[in-house]
Amino acid sequence: MLACLCTVLWHLPAVPALNRTGDPGPGPSIQKTYDLTRYLEHQLRSLAGTYLNYLGPPFNEPDFNPPRLGAETLPRATVNLEVWRSLNDKLRLTQNYEAYSHLLCYLRGLNRQAATAELRRSLAHFCTSLQGLLGSIAGVMAALGYPLPQPLPGTEPAWAPGPAHSDFLQKMDDFWLLKELQTWLWRSAKDFNRLKKKMQPPAASVTLHLEAHGF
Amino acid sequence: MLPCGTASWDSAVTWRVNGTDLAPDLLNGSQLVLRSLELGHSGLYACFHRDSWHLRHQVLLHVGLPPREPVLSCRSNTYPKGFYCSWHLPTPTYIPNTFNVTVLHGSKIMVCEKDPALKNRCHIRYMHLFSTIKYKVSISVSNALGHNTTAITFDEFTIVKPDPPENVVARPVPSNPRRLEVTWQTPSTWPDPESFPLKFFLRYRPLILDQWQHVELSDGTTHTITDAYAGKEYIIQVAAKDNEIGTWSDWSVAAHATPWTEEPRHLTTEAQAPETTTSTTSSLAPPPTTKICDPGDVGSGGGPSIPFLTSVPVTLALAAAAATANNPLI
Repeated sequence: MLACLCTVLWHLPAVPALNRTGDPGPGPSIQKTYDLTRYLEHQLRSLAGTYLNYLGPPFNEPDFNPPRLGAETLPRATVNLEVWRSLNDKLRLTQNYEAYSHLLCYLRGLNRQAATAELRRSLAHFCTSLQGLLGSIAGVMAALGYPLPQPLPGTEPAWAPGPAHSDFLQKMDDFWLLKELQTWLWRSAKDFNRLKKKMQPPAASVTLHLEAHGF
Repeated sequence: MLPCGTASWDSAVTWRVNGTDLAPDLLNGSQLVLRSLELGHSGLYACFHRDSWHLRHQVLLHVGLPPREPVLSCRSNTYPKGFYCSWHLPTPTYIPNTFNVTVLHGSKIMVCEKDPALKNRCHIRYMHLFSTIKYKVSISVSNALGHNTTAITFDEFTIVKPDPPENVVARPVPSNPRRLEVTWQTPSTWPDPESFPLKFFLRYRPLILDQWQHVELSDGTTHTITDAYAGKEYIIQVAAKDNEIGTWSDWSVAAHATPWTEEPRHLTTEAQAPETTTSTTSSLAPPPTTKICDPGDVGSGGGPSIPFLTSVPVTLALAAAAATANNPLI
């Protein structure tokens, strides 16, 4: 059973407030976030390949198509088409932020158990990059004036030593974690593309407005 | 072995196929025996009472084959709206076949709507995007002689392949002998290029060479080639791909173009009189050809090429005009 102690993530240092002089708006940081998702997706491809080989068959077989059992607490990228299209910016960003917060936490758990030093190194590197993505999303949210999601008191995910389950089921959880991570990165690219397109015209006007106030 | 209806084995009968008599050595009593059945044996078989020519029985024979394993493929050229699957048999059966397609997304059955025009294609609409669960499409084919099936499994992202870009047009750039301006449009089947932008791949070569030049473009639907060989006709094609997922489209219909070339000057010498410095007697209209006015060409310093028809008799001018009109220079 995947569960996670993630308090440290919910208390990221506050992102500096919008710089009022000559700020280009959230556009460049949305682009940067988009670029980070592409970089991470590329990094994940080699990481996942190595990790699945470590898990061994059937996990590393291309046709492996298991039913989605367990791993209920993993944040799911899948969403109804119309719902996804009509997400407002705040919700879109929040969903991304929350998803990667949880995924990073689970990945860190994976790292603790990983058998080889090489795997631990790759996972640690990926976790650092993923932390960077989270920071980037936080930056975009701050630039747009949206609050970072905070966990409700009492519902903070804590390490739950679930019923001892077999080695195979643990590997299934790992498989789904990597699969969900890959899918989220694809989704985020589309999410940030959408945000980029929406932000383009207003970005210029925001800059002008701020400069006027600066006088 | 074709029995003659209810006739007894020792009845005297004659068999015909499509009106043609069959030799008696094919008979086993009153039954027709066809050995080494082949496609040519298809037809209307009839048996007649030998003496009265009374028709006792007829049967329509279709010779066919049981179906081989069908070939199935799926593709999304309308992401994120949906995808389609199409199929065919590797070898014909010569008799009617029925196909049955089922689409599973995890444990959920999805509807595959028949294409209105194509018999071997059906369409599935995506309800959810960004799914981690694979799609499994199975097809079964059966006819009177047998049955066969196949199935394919894939992730949502892997089957995305747009249609080729449309309306690829290449134009010469005036006054630029090494440039060609290429424009195109995103394929009309791609439903949402704003949220799901496409990137493009352009290839071009002069007709006389085999090697292509390639350019990858991350956005925009125009590109200017700046290293074309002067005066050579070019062939240009464009392909499209979703920015992040799937595979490249097929190449578009080719566009052809030749870069701009300077209008040859030798045509004017036929009409040119011996040069005179005074050129005020001109009352002739300029020639009707559309000459591109290149500053260097017209000669800002009043060179010999300026009013080159002015001192020339009328008849010659008209001949020159006619000559130039017959030689389109673009």
